[in-house]
Amino acid sequence: MRIGIPRALLFQYYYPLWRSLFEHLGFEVVLSDKSTKSLVQKGIAVTVPEICLPIKIYNAHVINLIEKGVDYIFCPRFVHIEKGYWFCPKYIGLPELAEMTIPEAKLLVAEVDCRREDTAKLKCFLPVAKKLGVTKGQMKAALGAAAADFAYFRKLCKMGLTLDEAASVLFEGKKAEDFALPEFDTTIGLLGYVYNVYDPFISMDIIKKLRALKVNVITFDMLTEEELHRYRKTNTRDIFWTFADKLYQAAHVMIADKKVNGLIHITAFGCGPDSVVGKEIEHDFAGSGVPFMTLRIDEHTGENHLQTRIEAFTDMIKRKIRKCG
Amino acid sequence: MKVSFPHMGCVTGYKRLMEKLGHEVIMPQRPSQRTMELGVKYSPEFICFPFKVMMGTYIECAEAGAEMIVTSGGCGPCRAGMYPDVHQKVLEELGYSTKVVVFDNMFKDFKAFYHKVLEVTNGKNIADILQIAVFTYKLIKRMDTLEKKMKIQRAYEIHSGDYNRAWNKIVKMFEKCETAHDIKAAYDKANAMFDAIPRKKVEEKDRIRVGIVGEIYVIMERTVNKNVEEILNGLGVEVENVQYISDWVEHNIVPQWLPFPKSHRICKKSDEVAPLNCGGHDKENMGWVFDFAERGFDGVVHLMPFACLPELVNLGKFPTISERLNLPVLSLSLDEQMGEAHVKTRLEAFTDLCRSKHMAKQRPIENHEQGIGHGEEPREKANVPGRAEMTGARI
Repeated sequence: MRIGIPRALLFQYYYPLWRSLFEHLGFEVVLSDKSTKSLVQKGIAVTVPEICLPIKIYNAHVINLIEKGVDYIFCPRFVHIEKGYWFCPKYIGLPELAEMTIPEAKLLVAEVDCRREDTAKLKCFLPVAKKLGVTKGQMKAALGAAAADFAYFRKLCKMGLTLDEAASVLFEGKKAEDFALPEFDTTIGLLGYVYNVYDPFISMDIIKKLRALKVNVITFDMLTEEELHRYRKTNTRDIFWTFADKLYQAAHVMIADKKVNGLIHITAFGCGPDSVVGKEIEHDFAGSGVPFMTLRIDEHTGENHLQTRIEAFTDMIKRKIRKCG
Repeated sequence: MKVSFPHMGCVTGYKRLMEKLGHEVIMPQRPSQRTMELGVKYSPEFICFPFKVMMGTYIECAEAGAEMIVTSGGCGPCRAGMYPDVHQKVLEELGYSTKVVVFDNMFKDFKAFYHKVLEVTNGKNIADILQIAVFTYKLIKRMDTLEKKMKIQRAYEIHSGDYNRAWNKIVKMFEKCETAHDIKAAYDKANAMFDAIPRKKVEEKDRIRVGIVGEIYVIMERTVNKNVEEILNGLGVEVENVQYISDWVEHNIVPQWLPFPKSHRICKKSDEVAPLNCGGHDKENMGWVFDFAERGFDGVVHLMPFACLPELVNLGKFPTISERLNLPVLSLSLDEQMGEAHVKTRLEAFTDLCRSKHMAKQRPIENHEQGIGHGEEPREKANVPGRAEMTGARI
C-alpha cells in the first residue's frame, strides 16, 4: 500500500517520524513534489481565498498526491503536544477542511492530542492502525522505532543542522560533518514556522541566501527544550500556541543568550498567531537594541523583493558591527 | 475607580453591574469611524478586526480617563485569548496607565479568577456580589429576550423606525432599574410597547427567516457589522441571531455535560463535520447551521472578521455544507474597509434569492392540491439554481 505525505505544514518537523513509522509498518511512503508556482496554483484554485497561504499550499500537495495515485494521504490532526498549548485552529479543523475542499482525498487521520513533543503515543495513532489493518502491537513497536529515529533527528538539529540537512543525514546516508559551515562574524536569528522557513516556495531558500551573505543562521529548531522553556516564567501572558510560543521563546533566548545581531521574522500572509507573536516580540524586545524585521510572504511575493530586503538588512547589521563593534 | 469595558452589543448590563459594584463608569462610545481609525492605526496589521475596534474603544476610554478596563479572556486557540495582553502593551506604548483586567474561564484557574473578582468588586462581601450577579443576569436575560423578539417583529413594522425608537426608550428604562421588581415591570412595559406597534399581517407560509451565525463580536456589535440585522428586517426578513450576552454567560457557566442551555445541544449537531471545536464558536455555529436547516430557515448569513481563525475553518466547509443541507449561506468577512452599501447590496441579492427559493418550495405543494402534483423530483430541481448561485456568490 502506498501512503502519501504532503510536503506542507509540519512536514519538515515530523517527516522523520512519519516516514520511519510507515516504513517500519511495511508501507511505501510517497512524498508530494517540492512546492513550485504551478503546483501551488492548483491549491489556490480550490481553496477559499481568505485562508492563509500554508493551507492553500497544503491542499496543493494533497492534489499532487492524488495525481500520483496513492492509496491514503496521511493528514494528522494536531491539537495538543503540551498541556495548555494548542495548535492553530486550522490544524484542528484540517482533516475536514481538506476533505471538504478536495472530496477525492482519502485521508488517514491521526488524532494528535498528547503530552509528547514527538507525538509517538499509541492513542494518537490508533485510528491510523485501524484504517490500515495493523494490530496494536505492531503499531506500538513501529512507534517506538520511529520515536528513536525522531530523537536522533532532533539531536542532529540541535547540533546546528537545518531540518533538511538532518533528514538527509537520517535517510540518505550523509554525515553531519558534511554540513559543517565556516563561522562568520554576523549571526541572524531566523524566526518562522517550519513550513515558512523550509518551504522553497514561501521562503525562497532564505537560509541559503543568508549564508551566501556570510551570515550564521539560527532557527528555533536548533535550540534545546531547556532553552525554549528557560524564560517562560517571565511572560506577561502565556502564548497558547505550541509553535508560536517556541518562536517567542526562541527570540528571547537568541537575544539574551545567543547574542544574535539581528532577527528576521518570516511569516505568511494571513497568519493569525504570527500577528500576535510578531507584536509581542516587537514590543517586549524593543529595548534590546537588536534590529528586527518582518518579511510577509504571499503567493505574489517576488524573489527579488526578498533578496533586496535581506541584503539591506544584513548590510545594515554588518555596518553596525564594523562601526560600533 | 473609573471603569470601562469594550462596547459589544447592548452594554446596559455591564454598565449596571459596574455601577452596582460602586465604580464610576466611563461609558464606551458606540464604535465610530474615528474608533476604527484609531484602532487600525495602533494595532498589529494582521490581527482580527474585533481587536482593532476594541483597541480604538480602549484608547477612547483611556482618553476619557478610564483607570481600569474589564474584559473577558480565553485560553486558546482563538486569538481572542491574547487580546488583553496585546491591548495592554499598546496602551503602555501610547503612554496610558489604564489597566486591562481579564477574566479567564474560572474552571481553568479559579484562584486567578477569584483574585480578579476581588480586584473589581471594591471590597464588597460575597453575599452582595452574588446578589449583584443575579440582578445583572436577570437584566441581561430580559433585555436579550426583548431584543430577540424585536428582530422578528421589526420585519413587519408598518412605519419604519417604530421599533428602533421603542428600543431606545426601553434601554433607558432598563438603565434606571434598581431591583428585580423594576426589571420585571420594565420588561412587561417593554413587551406592551412592542405589541402596540402596528405591524403587517403575514401568513405563516410567507415568512422568510434568516439565521445569523459567526464570530461573537461582529454579530453582536451592529456598528461593526454595518447593521446587518436592521437591513434584513427592512427587507421584510425575520432574523435570528445565535449570540447574546446572556447565552454566552450561560454557555460558559453551566458545565458542558448538562443538556441546557440550548447551545450545549447545538454543539452536538455538528459532530460529524466538526468533531472538535477549533477555538471560537465555530463548532457551535456549524451546529446552528444544521439547526436552522432542520427548522426550515430560508438562509444563513455568516459574519466573520477578516482572517478570523476559527471561522475560516467554517468558511472552508460552507460550500459543501450549504449544498448538502440545501440551505443558502452568505459569508461576509468584515474589516475596516467594509462599506454599508456593499453589505446592503449583498443582502438584497441574498434576500431575493431566499425569497424566490422559498416561493419555489411552496409552488409544487399548491400544484399537488390542484391535482397536478409533480412529486418530489421537480421540487428538488426547482431549488437547484438558487443553490448553485449561492455557492458561487459566497465570497
